[in-house]
Amino acid sequence: MLTVTDLHAGYGLSEVLVGTSLEVKPGTIVALIGANGAGKTTTMRAISGTITPTRGEVRLGGSRVDGLGAARIARLGLAHSPEGRKVFGPLSTEDNLLLGGFRWLPHFFGFRRQARQALERVYDLFPRLAERRAQLAGTLSGGEQQMLAIGRALMAQPKIMLLDEPSMGLAPVIVQEVFRTIRRLKAEGMTMLLVEQFASAALAVADHVYVMERGRVAVSGTPEDLRRDPRVLAAYLG
Amino acid sequence: MLKRLILVRGAEIALFIVLGAVPLVVQSPYALGLLTLLAIYGIVLIGLDVTVGYLGQINLAQVAMLGLGAYVAGIAATRYGVGIPLALVLSGLFCTAIGALLALPALRLEGPQFALATLSFTALCATALNELEWLTNGAQGLQITRPLLLGHALDARAFFWLCIAILAIVWLAMRNLMSSQWGRAFEALRDSPIATDAIGVGTYRHRVAGFAFGSGLGGAAGALYAFNFGYLQPQTFVYELTVILLLGVVLGGRKSLWGAVIGAMLVALLPNLLSSHLVFRAFSGIAFVLALVAGVRGLVRRKTDAFRALAPIVATFTLAAGSFLASNTEDWRKAIFALMLFSVVVGLPEGLMGFAAAALARLFRVAPPALPPAAPLDAVLPVRAPDGSVLLRLDGLSRHFGGVRALDGVDLTVKAGTIHGLIGPNGSGKSTLVNVVSGLYAPSGGELRLRGAALRGGSLMAAAKAGIARTFQNLQLFGGMTALDNVMVALRGAWRVPLPLVLLGLGRLEEWRGRAAALALLEFVGLGSEARTRAADLTYGAQRFLEIARALARRPELLILDEPAAGLAQPDILRQLEIIRRIRQRGITMVLIEHHMDVVSELCETVTVLDEGKVIAEGPPAQVKRDPKVITAYLGAPEPGAAIAASAPAPVTGAP
Amino acid sequence: MPLSVVVQIAVSGALMGLVYALIAYGFQLTYATSKSLNFGQGELVMVSAFVSLTLLGTGLPYVAVVPLGILFGAGLGIVVERAAVRLALQQKTEGWILLTIIVGLFLVSFAENVWGRDDRPFPTPIPADPIKILGVDVTWLEISVAVGVLAIMALIEVFKRRTLLGKAFEAVSADRDAAELMGISATRTVTLSYALSGAVAAVAGILVSPITTVGPTMAAGLVLKAFSVAVVAGLESGFGVVLVGLVLGALEGLASLYVGSGWRETPGLLLLILALAVRPTGLFGKAIIRKV
Repeated sequence: MLTVTDLHAGYGLSEVLVGTSLEVKPGTIVALIGANGAGKTTTMRAISGTITPTRGEVRLGGSRVDGLGAARIARLGLAHSPEGRKVFGPLSTEDNLLLGGFRWLPHFFGFRRQARQALERVYDLFPRLAERRAQLAGTLSGGEQQMLAIGRALMAQPKIMLLDEPSMGLAPVIVQEVFRTIRRLKAEGMTMLLVEQFASAALAVADHVYVMERGRVAVSGTPEDLRRDPRVLAAYLG
Repeated sequence: MLKRLILVRGAEIALFIVLGAVPLVVQSPYALGLLTLLAIYGIVLIGLDVTVGYLGQINLAQVAMLGLGAYVAGIAATRYGVGIPLALVLSGLFCTAIGALLALPALRLEGPQFALATLSFTALCATALNELEWLTNGAQGLQITRPLLLGHALDARAFFWLCIAILAIVWLAMRNLMSSQWGRAFEALRDSPIATDAIGVGTYRHRVAGFAFGSGLGGAAGALYAFNFGYLQPQTFVYELTVILLLGVVLGGRKSLWGAVIGAMLVALLPNLLSSHLVFRAFSGIAFVLALVAGVRGLVRRKTDAFRALAPIVATFTLAAGSFLASNTEDWRKAIFALMLFSVVVGLPEGLMGFAAAALARLFRVAPPALPPAAPLDAVLPVRAPDGSVLLRLDGLSRHFGGVRALDGVDLTVKAGTIHGLIGPNGSGKSTLVNVVSGLYAPSGGELRLRGAALRGGSLMAAAKAGIARTFQNLQLFGGMTALDNVMVALRGAWRVPLPLVLLGLGRLEEWRGRAAALALLEFVGLGSEARTRAADLTYGAQRFLEIARALARRPELLILDEPAAGLAQPDILRQLEIIRRIRQRGITMVLIEHHMDVVSELCETVTVLDEGKVIAEGPPAQVKRDPKVITAYLGAPEPGAAIAASAPAPVTGAP
Repeated sequence: MPLSVVVQIAVSGALMGLVYALIAYGFQLTYATSKSLNFGQGELVMVSAFVSLTLLGTGLPYVAVVPLGILFGAGLGIVVERAAVRLALQQKTEGWILLTIIVGLFLVSFAENVWGRDDRPFPTPIPADPIKILGVDVTWLEISVAVGVLAIMALIEVFKRRTLLGKAFEAVSADRDAAELMGISATRTVTLSYALSGAVAAVAGILVSPITTVGPTMAAGLVLKAFSVAVVAGLESGFGVVLVGLVLGALEGLASLYVGSGWRETPGLLLLILALAVRPTGLFGKAIIRKV
């Protein structure tokens, strides 16, 4: 589904990614873990086109997408729920969700009906969002904003979803709820690339895990392999 | 050194000698009038360049300053019999004051709003000049006879020489100003206003001062304008002249005295250019060919993008085609200005002089002036004896953004002479804490004390003055300045010579000492050989070191390092650690925000762990690392992967 | 001075103020998506008015000319964005300020030479006869201005709030990167906002022309006051510009009544400088949080 080869990217003169490669197979969850500053978020941003990679390849379903720009990559069916959630604060919850389905706007005559169905599905997944549908997204709690960010990505009915730190700044109870949702989506066949600080939580849902260190993949394997790998711990508490 | 003197100063002297000698050869009063106008516009444009070039703001009020200065001088001369020198001073001071008054509110704004405010001011002035008939004679115009200069009546030639002399004085003063701390401050605040405040230089006050100074020059030029033409009308000083003045600065080249004078030349001579069909056709034809060649070359070499290459070609083509089609080019004056400006702004953003300067620099390699030997480090960064007292104390500090509690009642004490680590997961409030302590954000609640004295929150300047210096996670260097200048501009207590003396060129000694001090700090971080490199051209690691050197120039009591190792390669991380250790040896207290736990364990005496805006643990690194709360914060709630948390202490002993 | 005259002048002024508000609204539209605005907006008003006048001259009926004029304004807005704004936005500079001024200057000169420097009347089927409303004389023309201004603003607000494309506008202004991640092209949104802004300028031109007559300098004064309105009200609130526009228009009428007609412009300019001193982000604007 998604193949990343020798990806280099950074901000200005600082090159954060120095040759990251990874693969996400359809219907699986791949987790990207590693210490802060290892380049996880930069990897996500380079894949989705928020930043343009300086070298390397990103392939989505076989065709190259690197350098296309975020908007076009998104319209090809890659939904990226960014770090820090980035909901549209001045818009209502429901508007945020509807914008998540923006890529379908030119496609359907029955756009409204289609959007309505997708909306029902998200509300079914996150009943809390249904309660808050008219509330401005900026006034939602952190947990609700995270659900909104995931829901918004789902509205695109994407081929693959990139979830960046869905647990950031959330209370443990909420984190567990978020991860329950991720498991449910996996059961429905969603393909996902997940960046997570909480290694334990990530290992629990992933089919395959990459551990990043200083801009490249240091270790990869199944969660079972990694639980026994001391290097994984080293990546966290040095 | 000598070569530099001859080439750079020689060219300036030659310019003024040639300008001054023209009336000896050319006798036509018309040509003399143009030359006088050139000199006057030169002064106006040098003043305008302060805001447009150095401060980087579009200033549409310079024409109003010209007008106000002209009327002040005119009224003072006709009604009160004031002589030329006093009239010049009066106009200059009046417009400096008006400029400062306008700048105080307007310069709190950026970009478009500032342009709007200055545009409105120009309109307001035109209205006032028109309507205050008892003073200005309104739309009928004000008749002025040129007063005597020290008892001598000035003929056109003498008056021209007076204007040239004043232009030369302004040129010298401006050069002195821009090669002093003021020039550096202007440069710095354009690159990063936040860092300019954080090093205690003060963005706002320099902006206001710069704007007022430029306005004053406009006013003084206005006095000359009044005495040159002898007749003033309010509708002269309106929008169109504003655009023409901007044209002069942009066409000539910003941030350049030569650019201003060349721009003035073009602006003064333009009407003549347009009045002759032949000259104009030749001019526009040449412009088109130049744009075509440059554009095609840029496209072939893939150096410029399509728009920047093609737009000037289209614009100059329109210009050339128009020059053959239009029967009366005078009528199309504004369109011609517009097309020329458009081509230059898009195709030659640095202006003619910027372009020429780059070419000349390639042609004559002039060595920059020699650097002094570095000052002894002990003089620049005296060692403080750590007394173990409490340096920084936070009591219940909080900061909310909307409903988000980024900081939620943080208590923290930092002892003098220690390195205090600050860690926590992403979004835990570390950066907010640093931003509150350094004065970028005002706290929503709680107290902030440095050596027991309460700090006024929300002011970078106040924090800087109190002795707090910081680096930034996303570098905030002054990219266009050299490494040396980056450090010099931050030097604390080094700049004492008052402005009038600086204008007279009496700041040189201080400048020399400042260079020596800055060089010592560059050597301290291992950048002694990069003193002349532009900050933006340094490697990323060197940029991080430079930011530390700049912070050290503040001789801080407390140095906050916001992720100093972020984005660094392994060898640079080691260098960075070495620098931090050496800073500690000089007795400077540090707060270190860091992601790499190994760095923190190695350097810090005490570590504070933040999570969700609260302190969840504090103590020596080894103890903090074993704290279950910390492990949870980093590894997550004990869910299926709890095995990791349980086995955590074992492999995590001793740092590399 | 009888009170009725004062009220009369204030009301006339306020109705004119709605035109300032409409032009200021054009600034807000582009500012929302790109933090840039067209300093040559007045020239868009003027050129659109001239084009509409020319179209009327060909014998087309008024009802056909209005949409064509609006379409032309939108097209011109796109040209402005492409020629003067996009490059500067890509480079993250404020070069667009200078470039839009330049484009405006070109348009003035163009109009001067193509349509002449004289002011020309703009024929309209709407009668200029006054009617009495609550004791104040109001002409149908003035009513048409008020209705037209409020209608187009309402229409655009409905577009922004009720359609997905309109919400995409808001999304881009709230968080450009996140909007791109939804597949919303920020560049195209900016272009669209300039098209809308140009259309709004054309509406302003068509509405105000019968009152002011059409000439190359017709919009210079209008746009200056629209700048004042935009800065005083802030660049975010559509409601704000209407309110400030009404107040400013009324104040202007009163200033010319009490101080002299030459001082007509002053309240706007003073209000602007005052607002800058007291509340730089505008009365209805949002505070700015500095970021590092």
